Amino acid sequence: MDITKVSLKELRKALDDKEISAAELAEEYIGRIKTADAEVESYITVTEEQAKIAAEQAQKLIDDNKAQPLTGIPLAIKDNICTDGIRTTCASKMLENFVPPYNATVIEKLNGQGYVLLGKTSMDEFAMGGSTQTAAFSKTKNPYDTGRVPGGSSGGSAAAVSAGLAPAALGSDTGGSIRQPSSFCGVTGLKPTYGRVSRYGLIAFASSLDQIGPIANSAEDCGILLNAVAGRDEHDATSAGVPVEDFNAKIGQSIKGMKIALPREFFGDSTDDEVKQAVTAAAKEYEKLGAELVDCSMSSLKYAVAAYYLISGAEAASNLSRFDGIKYGLRGEGRSFDEMIRDSRSRGFGAEVKRRILLGNYALSSGYYDAYYRKALALKQQIIKEYNDIYAQADVILTPTAPTVAYRIGEQETDPVKMYLADICTVTVNIASLPAISLPCGYNADGMPIGMSLVGKRFDEATLIQTADAYQRNFTVMPNKFRA
Amino acid sequence: MDIKTIDHLCELSKLNFTDDEKQKVMEEMSAIIELMDTVKEIDLTYDDTKDNNSITYSEVRKDAAKPSYPTDRLLSNTEPQDNCYVVPKMVE
Repeated sequence: MDITKVSLKELRKALDDKEISAAELAEEYIGRIKTADAEVESYITVTEEQAKIAAEQAQKLIDDNKAQPLTGIPLAIKDNICTDGIRTTCASKMLENFVPPYNATVIEKLNGQGYVLLGKTSMDEFAMGGSTQTAAFSKTKNPYDTGRVPGGSSGGSAAAVSAGLAPAALGSDTGGSIRQPSSFCGVTGLKPTYGRVSRYGLIAFASSLDQIGPIANSAEDCGILLNAVAGRDEHDATSAGVPVEDFNAKIGQSIKGMKIALPREFFGDSTDDEVKQAVTAAAKEYEKLGAELVDCSMSSLKYAVAAYYLISGAEAASNLSRFDGIKYGLRGEGRSFDEMIRDSRSRGFGAEVKRRILLGNYALSSGYYDAYYRKALALKQQIIKEYNDIYAQADVILTPTAPTVAYRIGEQETDPVKMYLADICTVTVNIASLPAISLPCGYNADGMPIGMSLVGKRFDEATLIQTADAYQRNFTVMPNKFRA
Repeated sequence: MDIKTIDHLCELSKLNFTDDEKQKVMEEMSAIIELMDTVKEIDLTYDDTKDNNSITYSEVRKDAAKPSYPTDRLLSNTEPQDNCYVVPKMVE
C-alpha cells in the first residue's frame, strides 16, 4: 500500500483489517519526514518518540475493536496549537523554548480518539503572514516547486499534506491561513464557522476571527477531522452550542438545483487570468452536475483588506501584550521592569509581528479610533449584510482562493502592502464568521496548483463538503515530486 | 506618519527600534496606513446595537472551584524563586 495515495477512510480500513499496524504506519510517515523534510521544512518539531508510544496505545484500541475514525491515524498539528509537554513555538523566537503545561481542546479530542502526533508544523510567526517566510525557523517550501512559497500562515501543515509527510493536519485560519496555503500546495483546507471548533489552547492572534480547521487530501478527509474536533467547549465561551452533525452525511447527494453564486468582484483585474479561467471552468463543471450559477455582487470587497487588517491588528496588539518575558517566552534584559519588557518584545518578535502590533495600536489610539477601528467594524457589518443578501438567492458562493498561484520566495513577502492585498479573496469569510473550503481546481502553465473556495452559510459545513466532494470525484490531482 | 508618531506607537507597543530601523518602520507604516485610509472613503456608521451578531456566545461555565494546574508546571517556562516569578525592581 502506498500510504500517500490513500484516503483517511482507506487508512482506517487498512488498520482495522490489520494490513498495517499503527506503529508501521507512524514509522512510514516518520521515515518520509526524515527523507523529504530537509527540503520542504514543513515541520518545526518531529515527535518520533511520542508517535511510537501513541501508536502502541492506538494499536491496543484497534485490537480490542474500539477504534474510532482517527485511532492510529498520524496527523500533523500547526505549531500555534498547545500540546502538553511538547514545544509549541508559533514559529517565533519569543516562544522558541515554550513547552505548554496543557493541551488545546482539539488535542484533547484527538487524544480521545487515539490519534498519533507526527509533529508540529511551521507557520508564519504568530500566524501573521501568507508565505510561511516570516517564521523564525523552518521557512517551509512549496512541494510543487521548492523555489516557491507554500502560502501561509498554515504553510507547514499544507506542505506536509501536499508532500505526503502527513495524511492530514490541523491549521488555523484568521484571514485565509488554512485556505490560501491549501490552494498554493494543491490540497483541501476547511475553515469552519466561527465558534464551530474550540479555540482553547490556540495561541491567540485575533480572537474574533481565529478558527482551527483541517487540511487534508479531500473534502471527505476534512470532514473526518472536523467531526473529531468540532463542538461546544466550556473553556471557550465563543464555541457555539450548535449540535455537531456528521459533516460527511451529505456526501454523494446530488447537487442538482443547488444555487452557486459568483460575486463578480472576486474575478476582477487583481486576479490572474489563469486563476479566473480555472475557477470559471470549475463553475461550468458544477453547471454540468445540475447546479445553477447565480451572478451577484459584493460591492464592499475593495475595503475588506483594510477592514480586516484594522480589526485583526487591533486584536493582535491586545492579545500579544501578554508577551512580556516574565511568565514564559524569551526574557530580555533591562535594569527596570519596563526596560526588560521592551527588550524581551523587541528581541522576541519578528518584523511582521511588530508591524501588526504597531498598526493595531495606531488604529486603537486616541484620535484614530473612530476613523479606523470603528469604521472597520462598520464595514464588518456591511460585509455580513452583503453575504446575507447573496444567501437570500444562493446556497453557496464560489470564488478563487487567492488571486495568484504560489509565487517565488523573495518575490513578494518583503512588501507588506503587496502581501496584505493578496488576502483579498479570503478575509471577508473570517469577517463574516462563515465556513469555507478551498480545493484544487486546476494547474497553471508551470504546473502550480490553482485553488477555488466554496463559502457556505453559517454552520453549514456539511453542504460545503458535499459540494466540494461532488467536484473532487471528477478532478484528477497532479502529484508533486514528493508523491510521484 | 512621522518619527514622533512612531515613538508614541513604540511606547504603546513596548517595542524598541534603532534610529535606522525607525526610519524603515516609518516608511512601511506610511504605506500601510495609506492602504488603511481606504476605509475612510465609504460612508458607513458602526451600529453598536448589532455588535458581534455573527458570534454565538454560549453559556458561561459554572463558577465552581476546581483543582488548578500544578504550580511547578505553570512555572516551568520561567526561572522561578520560591514559587514566584522574578522580575527586575519596579520601584527604585
